[in-house]
Order: sequence, then structure tokens, then C-alpha cells
Amino acid sequence: MDWHPPATLDLAVSARETLTMASFAAIRGKEEALREAIRAGYGAELPYHAARVAGVGITFVWAGPNQWLAVAERENGRDLEAELKEQLAGIASVVDQSDGRVVVRISGPRARDVLAKGVPIDLHPRAFKPGDVAITHASHIGIILWQTDDAPTYEAALFRSYADSFAHWLFESAAEYASTR
Amino acid sequence: MRIACPHCGERSLDEFLYSGDATVRRPDFASPTAMDEFIAYTFERTNPAGPHRELWYHAAGCHAWLVVTRNVATHAISSVEPARDVALAGKPETKDGA
Repeated sequence: MDWHPPATLDLAVSARETLTMASFAAIRGKEEALREAIRAGYGAELPYHAARVAGVGITFVWAGPNQWLAVAERENGRDLEAELKEQLAGIASVVDQSDGRVVVRISGPRARDVLAKGVPIDLHPRAFKPGDVAITHASHIGIILWQTDDAPTYEAALFRSYADSFAHWLFESAAEYASTR
Repeated sequence: MRIACPHCGERSLDEFLYSGDATVRRPDFASPTAMDEFIAYTFERTNPAGPHRELWYHAAGCHAWLVVTRNVATHAISSVEPARDVALAGKPETKDGA
């Protein structure tokens, strides 16, 4: 990736390369069984609207009607695809996303201004808050976007093959905020 | 124009693809007049200057197919429903609850 984030204290950009990710969708008629399995296995209530919830050692990101993206740290060789295929056998279809997608973290006082240049949704705190999720695009690149804190910190999951284009747009957008010192 | 996706909220037009007339239904290929019915299904469209039901695809969003009721003269949208719900309405429940 052509990775040259602008030098400024107002914006930190990093690729979260230590994640394991898998998407899953309930098998028809197993929706309630899926909710129960996630409740029992991870202590989380699957969101049925555009939200992100934390479970024990994992987060679940709404990824469309009846679809979710599970995200966790890849520590100790953890592989969410294998783990969820076992946990959700017979009740959900599970597909690995660890290689296909990259999660980019964009944080700092200027994060909202930079994203607003290419993301068509309203990122004002009254409209988009920590815990919220949006499936949209950034400069025509499809992203799943979520906010994690009020710094503000955002994370965008996108297809890895678009990472160069995304970085190019992001750093061009951020250039005006680079510190001159 | 903005469309209020039932899953994502109001989004701008550039996230959606127009995918045709939502009022037509695929005919029964076994019907004795199937040829005429398929010609009508494929080619014949009314062109109302008023409310119309259209299929839209939330391509850059949640990937849901939607049935949008839109006044084509004013662009005023009066309803947006998941196409799945429209398609399943009136159909008998299947064994697995779909």
C-alpha cells in the first residue's frame, strides 16, 4: 500500500493488520437459533439495525439485512472463520473476510472533516455516533464504516484490492491538515 | 433525489441502481399463451405521469432490493419497501418459515 499519512497530531491513520474477520448470515428459518448461539457463545445481542456490538473478545458489525461481520484480534492463531463455522454449524453460512478486506482506522480531531470529503452520509455527532454503522462508499469505494469513540475514531472495512485507491483519496483529503512545523 | 432505505436510512441517489418496473410479474411458462405473455412481460410498459412502482437496488449500501413508489412527474417518493417483503406478501408460508 502506498502509505504516506500526513504528519499531524490532528489525524492518525493506521491499517489494522492484526485482525481475523468473517461474515455470516443465518440459514433460512434459523434466525432465532443464530441469535441464541451468539448470545450463548459470545454474550452479545446481534444487532438488527446498522450498529456494532461488542461480545466477549469479539465485535459484531451489522453488514446488511440478516448479515454480520465478526471482527477479532488474530492472537494465538485465532481464526474466526474456523471458529464460527464450528460455533454456528447448521445455523449460519460463514465466509472468511480476513484476506479479502482490510480495516483502516482514522482517528483524531480532523478525522470527521477528512472523511466528510468523500463519504456521502452525515457524520455529524447528532447523526452518527460511536456504535453506529453505515454501509456506504468513500470516494466511490465501498466501505462498511463504524465509529468507535468520540476522538472521533472511525474504522472502515473495505476490499483490500481497493486499499491503494482508498489511501490515495484519504491522504489527498488530509493533506490540507498536515502540520507545517 | 434521496431514497429512504428501510435498512440504512435516507441515502443519496448515487448509492442506488434503478432496476426496472416493479409491477410486472414473470408469467407461467407452461401457459398456452406463454409467448404472448412473455412478450408483454419483457417489452410492454405503461408510462404513467404519476405514481409508479419501481425496483431499486441499494448497490453501494446494504445490497437490498427495494420497491419504491415514486411519482415520476414530481420525484416524490411515497413508500419504500424491501422487495423481499413485497414478493413474500400473499405467498403461503413454506415449511421452514421463509
